[in-house]
Amino acid sequence: MTASPLHADVRVDVTAIEKHLAELWRSSKEVADDALTRAALWNVVAHTSTSETHAKASETLGKASGAVPQRTIIVRADPSAPPEIASWISANCHLVGGGKQVCSEEIAIVAGGDRVQRVPPLVNALLIPDMPVAVWWLGDLPNENEDYVLTLLEPADRLIVDSVHFDSPADLLLINRVGEKTTTMPADLNWVRLEEWRQATASIFDPPHMRARLEAIRSIRVAAGTSGSDYFGEIVESLLYAAWISAQVGHQVDALGKVEGPLGSIDYRIERRKQESDIGGISLAEITFDDGSCASITRDRERGILVTNVDGNLSFPESVTRAVVCDIDKLIVRQLKRAQSDRILLKVLPVASRLAKRVASS
Amino acid sequence: MSSVTAPTQAPAANPLREGLEQERVPDASSLVIFGASGDLTGRKLLPALYSLAHDGLLPAGQTIIGFARPDFTDDAFRMAMREACDKYARTRPVDNAIWENFAKGLFYVQGDFSEPSGYYRLNQKLQECDRTRGTGGRRIYYLAVPPQFFPVISELLGAEKMVTDPERGGPFTRVIIEKPFGHDLQSAKELNRVAVSTFRERQVFRIDHYLGKETVQNLLVLRFANGIFEPFWNRQYIDHVQITVAESIGVEKRGNYFDSAGITRDIIQNHMMQLLSLIAMEPPVAFEADPVRDEKVKVVRALREFPRGSEEENAVRGQYADGSVLGEKAVAYRKESNVSPESKTETFAAMKVFVDNWRWADVPFYLRAGKRLPKRVTDISIHFRPAPYPMWRKLRGVSTQPNVLAIRIQPDEGISLKFDSKVPGPSVRTAPVTMEFRYATSFGAEPPEAYERLLLETMLGDSTLFARRDEVETAWAWLDPLLNAWAADTRPPDFYPAGTWGPESADKLIERDGRKWRRP
Repeated sequence: MTASPLHADVRVDVTAIEKHLAELWRSSKEVADDALTRAALWNVVAHTSTSETHAKASETLGKASGAVPQRTIIVRADPSAPPEIASWISANCHLVGGGKQVCSEEIAIVAGGDRVQRVPPLVNALLIPDMPVAVWWLGDLPNENEDYVLTLLEPADRLIVDSVHFDSPADLLLINRVGEKTTTMPADLNWVRLEEWRQATASIFDPPHMRARLEAIRSIRVAAGTSGSDYFGEIVESLLYAAWISAQVGHQVDALGKVEGPLGSIDYRIERRKQESDIGGISLAEITFDDGSCASITRDRERGILVTNVDGNLSFPESVTRAVVCDIDKLIVRQLKRAQSDRILLKVLPVASRLAKRVASS
Repeated sequence: MSSVTAPTQAPAANPLREGLEQERVPDASSLVIFGASGDLTGRKLLPALYSLAHDGLLPAGQTIIGFARPDFTDDAFRMAMREACDKYARTRPVDNAIWENFAKGLFYVQGDFSEPSGYYRLNQKLQECDRTRGTGGRRIYYLAVPPQFFPVISELLGAEKMVTDPERGGPFTRVIIEKPFGHDLQSAKELNRVAVSTFRERQVFRIDHYLGKETVQNLLVLRFANGIFEPFWNRQYIDHVQITVAESIGVEKRGNYFDSAGITRDIIQNHMMQLLSLIAMEPPVAFEADPVRDEKVKVVRALREFPRGSEEENAVRGQYADGSVLGEKAVAYRKESNVSPESKTETFAAMKVFVDNWRWADVPFYLRAGKRLPKRVTDISIHFRPAPYPMWRKLRGVSTQPNVLAIRIQPDEGISLKFDSKVPGPSVRTAPVTMEFRYATSFGAEPPEAYERLLLETMLGDSTLFARRDEVETAWAWLDPLLNAWAADTRPPDFYPAGTWGPESADKLIERDGRKWRRP
């Protein structure tokens, strides 16, 4: 990000945010003229509840706007705070070469007490028309206040969550319900983190002779890196991974999480493995086939790759997949760059919640 | 032949690929690069292949075998290619872990293009890779060699039984040919005859790197994925079209080749024909190889012949003289190395062409291409007809201008639409404004290199983005009379100072029609 007169937060009257934004651009054009372009591909609304998460959202989306220009609206809603509502505007500018800067607007809305209820209509009025809307919900979803969530999501095309913060399988079901019952499609940053694992796993079954072996899967073992606690969010990535294989291969997963494949029941094991870093991430996945042979995927942290290997009677060149640990802004960028919603995640969420029951009972 | 028998029926798609960013990954094959010691391999091909591997778009067993005359070991070849990737790959710096794995599939076979013994060694290596890397007998031969080697390579590949075809029960073999696809119609036909004596037409992938550019592919999306343009995309609303392919560089090290070719063969016969076809074609019934190419070739077939004996009415040629480009002194073409001091080769050509069909009847397409022009730019502009009735004509300060839709292919890729707007104030005054879309602003990331896309498409067996035999031959058939007329003309081309937009005759060509070149 580069220094710009637009950067400073300017406190503005809530009822005249658009007017102040127009003034801001007019004055900046007088200074920078053609070197400055105002752009937006998305409306991104970040929902926070504390000043820390607000600051984190602002920093993250400021970085993300360099890759995906957006109108950013950061909401800090705290019903326990004094009843007031205030707003600020600023801009995030990024050099794009040739001395040109692309700038995205950022609007901050802080609401407390009963004024929180005024936030959804205000956000609605501030959205750029004809641009898609993503709501990024920071932290755990409020299961107990589903109406508030749904009101805020009413104009949203996408709900971005990070399931590493989920404290129960009910959260998986809640975002699944959002996907099924509304026009807002869920998007999970944990699912984006899984992309490389999915890619590495898919690469095992790319060779034509390996494709038939998908039906010969007998067990799947996934090791989840945890902090040592039994917090649910730390195993969600592993659950999503296991659920993805079942959903795509066509396994039957019953309400208790029992999995049946074409050759009988399939043993699923999600292991918690205490580690210092990459909490919540997968550290190993192992797929065993009916002939006892095994395909494995391991993370080589030092080299920033995933290594796949298939043993047994098959000659198979080792495959590597780039797997650099991504910051949240990069995960959000990857999410926003997907023009379409992720239909696979919708298939996977209910399976993951069923598998969660199996993990809880084991 | 390979000891591995590939199934003749394609297996079901990998369900785990569904929804991934890398949804289409080809089956592992062996890609043999003939002429692997050449510039193209190091500058374009290997960096493109590495970037594909980096992005997870190559299958685990993908194998690349360099074949050329110099004596290299596998390791020396790998080292040279690593240096090339360090310099030219889009995804830099090169990731060591990805490179190490990629390099395991990189081999070199020494051989002379006309010696069967080299092909024998190559075949041994290919079969070994089938066993150890799961390439399943699948072959892609990339002929990164001058066209004169094509017949002998093709013949020896056939003689050594190194070409198979799924329709005959074997794994696939594909061959990639680089331009120039001939020097004229006769040589193009001969080249194609040689190709189909060993390969079937659908096994031949004629690479025109322009078709691998995102912005060129976007022409189809712009036209056919947006409902607003197609109703206006015809003679009723469009006054004329301009296509400019400008290069600021001279002939550099290509003096030998260029002096025998000229800009018309080098740029217009291939790249510009592709742009013209994509702009003028009818909507294909599907975005698939044959429907798209069927429509493109119809455009080329509809091109009006140049008037015999008075070609200069519709086509001019130029050659750069001393001048300066981007602040640097530039010597005349005739003073370039490996160029004849009396050369009549054109380094600039401009032409007015017509697509004689229902949609485009009498709409001129002005094409110009040149070297040593003020800057490097490829630009297409659609100039719409003016508003039908000048209702503001009695008012001072109002001079309306026609709308222009400009498509910038390179650099700074994007699309802009120029239209008139009222200048704020109490009186009616107008000024042209532009609405702009820029790739870099909207999508940020660097798009893949053209070669990445084209190599991947070849591995996947999709020839939509490659030139078909009839396209190539039809373009030559149209251009041959003009080239023959120029060759027979004893006058030199019109000279223009390096760093300008071509000779005056090019300006006159368009100004005669009451129009002028757009400054791209």
